[in-house]
Amino acid sequence: MGGEFTPRIVGFLCNWCSYAGADLAGSTKQKVPSSLSVIKVMCSGRVEPVLIATAYLRGADGVLLAGCHPGDCHYREGNYYARRRFALLEKTMETLGLEPARLMLAWVSASEGQRFGEVTNLFTERIKEMGPSPLKKALL
Amino acid sequence: MENNKNSISVLVIGAGIAGIESSLLLANSGAKVYLVEKASYFGGNIIKCEEVFPNMECATCMIAPKQQELLQSESIELLTLSEVEDVQGSVGDFTVKVKKRARYVNLENCIGCNECFGPCPVEVDNEFEEKLSKRKAIYIPCPGALPNAPVIDTDNCLRFKGENCQLCQENCVFDAIDYTQQDESLELNVQAIVVATGFKTYDLTQAPQYGYGKLNNVYSMVEVERICASNGPTEGQIVLRNGKAPESVAIIHCVGREEKGYCSSVCCMASIKQAHFLKNKIPGLKITQLYSDLCVPGRVYQRFYEEVKESGVDFIRATVSEVKGQGTGVAIKYKTENGEENTLNVDMLILAPAIEPGVDSARLADILGIPQDEHGFFNEKEPDLDSVDTSREGVFIAGCAQSPKDVPDTVAEAEATVGKILSLSR
Amino acid sequence: MAKKIGVYVCECGNNIADNVDIDRIIKTISPMRNIEVIEKYRLLCSEDGKEFLKQSIKDNELTHLVVAACSPKQHEQTFMNVCLAAGLNPYLFQMANIREQCAWVTPDKEEATDKAIRQITAAIARVAYQEALGKRDIDVSPDVLVIGGGIAGIRAAQVLASSDRKVYLVEKSSSLGGKVKSFDKLFTKMESGSALIDKELRKVEKDENVEVFTDSEVEQILGFFGNFEIKVVKEATGEEREFNVGAVVLATGFDLMDLKALPQYGYDKLQDVYTSIEFEEMNVPGGPTSGKILLKNGKPPGSVAIIHCVGREEKGYCSKVCCMYSLKFARMLQDRLPEAKVSQIYSDLCIPGKAYQKFYDETKGLGVEFIHGEKINITQNGKGITVKYESNSGQGIDLAVDMVILVPAMEPGNDTNRFAEMLGIPVDNEGFLAQEHQLLAPVASSVEGVFVVGCTQGPKNISESIVQSEAAAGKILSTLVPGRKLELEVKTSEISETFCTGCKTCISVCPYSAINFDNSRKIAVVNEALCHGCGVCAAACPSGAARVKNFAFTQIYQEVEALLK
Repeated sequence: MGGEFTPRIVGFLCNWCSYAGADLAGSTKQKVPSSLSVIKVMCSGRVEPVLIATAYLRGADGVLLAGCHPGDCHYREGNYYARRRFALLEKTMETLGLEPARLMLAWVSASEGQRFGEVTNLFTERIKEMGPSPLKKALL
Repeated sequence: MENNKNSISVLVIGAGIAGIESSLLLANSGAKVYLVEKASYFGGNIIKCEEVFPNMECATCMIAPKQQELLQSESIELLTLSEVEDVQGSVGDFTVKVKKRARYVNLENCIGCNECFGPCPVEVDNEFEEKLSKRKAIYIPCPGALPNAPVIDTDNCLRFKGENCQLCQENCVFDAIDYTQQDESLELNVQAIVVATGFKTYDLTQAPQYGYGKLNNVYSMVEVERICASNGPTEGQIVLRNGKAPESVAIIHCVGREEKGYCSSVCCMASIKQAHFLKNKIPGLKITQLYSDLCVPGRVYQRFYEEVKESGVDFIRATVSEVKGQGTGVAIKYKTENGEENTLNVDMLILAPAIEPGVDSARLADILGIPQDEHGFFNEKEPDLDSVDTSREGVFIAGCAQSPKDVPDTVAEAEATVGKILSLSR
Repeated sequence: MAKKIGVYVCECGNNIADNVDIDRIIKTISPMRNIEVIEKYRLLCSEDGKEFLKQSIKDNELTHLVVAACSPKQHEQTFMNVCLAAGLNPYLFQMANIREQCAWVTPDKEEATDKAIRQITAAIARVAYQEALGKRDIDVSPDVLVIGGGIAGIRAAQVLASSDRKVYLVEKSSSLGGKVKSFDKLFTKMESGSALIDKELRKVEKDENVEVFTDSEVEQILGFFGNFEIKVVKEATGEEREFNVGAVVLATGFDLMDLKALPQYGYDKLQDVYTSIEFEEMNVPGGPTSGKILLKNGKPPGSVAIIHCVGREEKGYCSKVCCMYSLKFARMLQDRLPEAKVSQIYSDLCIPGKAYQKFYDETKGLGVEFIHGEKINITQNGKGITVKYESNSGQGIDLAVDMVILVPAMEPGNDTNRFAEMLGIPVDNEGFLAQEHQLLAPVASSVEGVFVVGCTQGPKNISESIVQSEAAAGKILSTLVPGRKLELEVKTSEISETFCTGCKTCISVCPYSAINFDNSRKIAVVNEALCHGCGVCAAACPSGAARVKNFAFTQIYQEVEALLK
């Protein structure tokens, strides 16, 4: 075990709720781990499993998928598809050699700035404890 | 009336959900809209809610796209801190005088960083948060309020009371604070007017038998909305004034109904919604609702009520005879329909107040030349028939300003005013 | 063509400048591929900031733009407008959020700077793969089809019709007027329903822009918002009419629930048990009893019980209007039969709004008895009727009356299912059509351009039905403007003919039913007039044939790669 491990976490945030929640975290000066990098998509339902797998293959230690609360999706049911894909991914991640806990699904509404801070901090701590992604060694 | 649809201008008074919907739909058609709002923010009453019934949708998420559209619309001139002073003319040609109070903040320079609040030495009750928290003399009512720029409360600001304080201005790197701003008088020429001034709630101190304002843990439903709100004074933590979470809650419906003489339509549903929310936040919370008649009309509300009932919330048809302090909580004496008397002891009592027309209704009715009924609601032209027209052609009403109603009916009325206006102008 | 990407970092006064090392950002990014220019500016969203940006784009002949500043939710539109003004396609632009999601949430300046560099690099990588997109629009018909000639349909036609907008009003029966025509009295002013209908019809009958079809049914609705193809058939003659409209308003009214399913109320078994509609018809001057309230034996009743909420529990919803019209019935009874004893048995009194309680108080003042009772059972008792009910105390009570009026639950008109299928609108358990949004778009159905108003949409009174038809008119008048094309969403999905295997997965997941199957080419095709650009199809497509413009896999992948380097 060498020095402090700084995880690389990619977050896919939906434009309408979770991205707005992340912005509100900013306006209310929450602390969000700098290890989180954000990609904005229009809907959490846009994020296909291959994209998430790609993130891991490119060296992500953790991936966060965030969308509107069930029932609040701007596109009616996009987040339900996100939920289903997440459930499937959790099951198949082990075959990729990854712990399912490296993937997190979170519903964050536009008014949940504080919650966004909490969720991202929690996830980052979890990934820190788990250490670097096993795929990183394989890729190197 | 102008035959060219693209050249019509409309005045919309009130930037709550009805005013916003009307404005957006009118702007979409090519009309120019002046959206006049008395407060420093827009969104009206609905943005005070965390979740709305019956689907428990996040209220801010729900209207965020509309708010964004409003801010980006080039055809809608949003005039906050503004009030209508005078209306002359007739349909097709109204001349409206609007007084626009100074914000003392330059909206073009201000980027909403909130850095000016810290240094302000004045702290007062935050009315938006139902006085459950404080704000400064330069303030935004709550995180996320739009437009994202503060306003100076000149009643409490030291500088405006004569002292030489300029701490906020010194702390602003964008030169956004301008003490020299003046109130403005605007004169607008419009073809039609939509009145969507919303509602306020019954003053619970007028019903002292329920202990509001006297007993410790008696709350109004609006206060509880803010307590539940994730951007509210407790950031969504359900805590009593003593900082502890309640273990038992009672909600009394219809407060003020008898005094006012009408049923406010939405309070049963709002009460059920709060019960649902609280029960989810605090599993094991014992909730009892005391009501006179359950008003859950339409295709979906009853189902919501039944689900909440099934989750363990007690619904008792009763008349409340007395509310007394009992330890840190209250003891509610009530009588059921068959005459049985009972006492319910709870940590927290929530009162669901009647809905009344907005504060300035009488003044507006006078300025607009439209009649009000005995409760102060604006009169529609033909009761039970033409709900959005008034007796003055070209002046339309929508939402709770006309009569208490829920969001879907409010939005429908707002859209109906657009139907009438665009139809008139063809 | 070589890419020339311009990157501009906004200081946002001190907000960004104090929290990230902008100079280090510039130093790090400057040598990157395709970077033509990278500069900082104090406040890019200000007038001079925008002017500076516009000029810089032109001077540097930029092909792509990246602005690192606040959230795109704040100023994406602002800078897209600058692109337009500078002659750069606004879709060859990407923002990096280094304020709300970086400067404001990262206390350590070095970490904040590292993060900002990552986000900006990602934006640069992405923008290089973005496509120039243009606004698209289609021709639309401003005309409207209104199905149902009741009060809601008639009002919709009135508000919509004009010299540049035709309304086709289709009614399946032989005359317009719907249910209201046969209401002798309407609450609260107790005025004539048929007189109201006559007045409303006068406005429509004279209007040459309204074409009325009676004894006719809509047999076919094809197409989509702005371009519906309609076929109407006159039942008796088989005569067909085809025409195009831009929008459809469904105003097919209500029916009362079938009481045979609730035998405890004695309907169809006992002589003098009537439904509310039957009672209404009895009171009409030209009706079966010439407008007189009579029992089957020809005598007037000495006592009447009005039973509210019939079927409420079984249906699972409250029909909203029935308490009010029951009060109306009580008044009609007191008026025409002053000697009759009138009792009302209800489970909850539903009288919302500013005026209805007064109506109730006054009705009560006339001597009408209001009983809170449940578990109703109605049986014959010699020549009369016994209404058994359970009172609040749980006691069983018998009420002897001559006549019973049952107030049954209201259902959407019996054509509703047929139209739901024709239009592809889901129907809930109670038979109501799905709305676009229950709160914010109550009269719009889940199919764009199709509006559902009046009692078809849900039980409601006349004024509410009228409000809804005017609301639908408002939406239509606002979006389908004669002579104006309909602007479409730009970042829509498109499906590659080459890669599509015809599996139809995308069709099954699209929330807007915006994808059609082309039977001849055996591929899925996106209807860009309906597509909202959510991307659910792109994520679901097994062959990667579906892609969302500017949210394509290749573009998002660039971000992923850059963020993780």
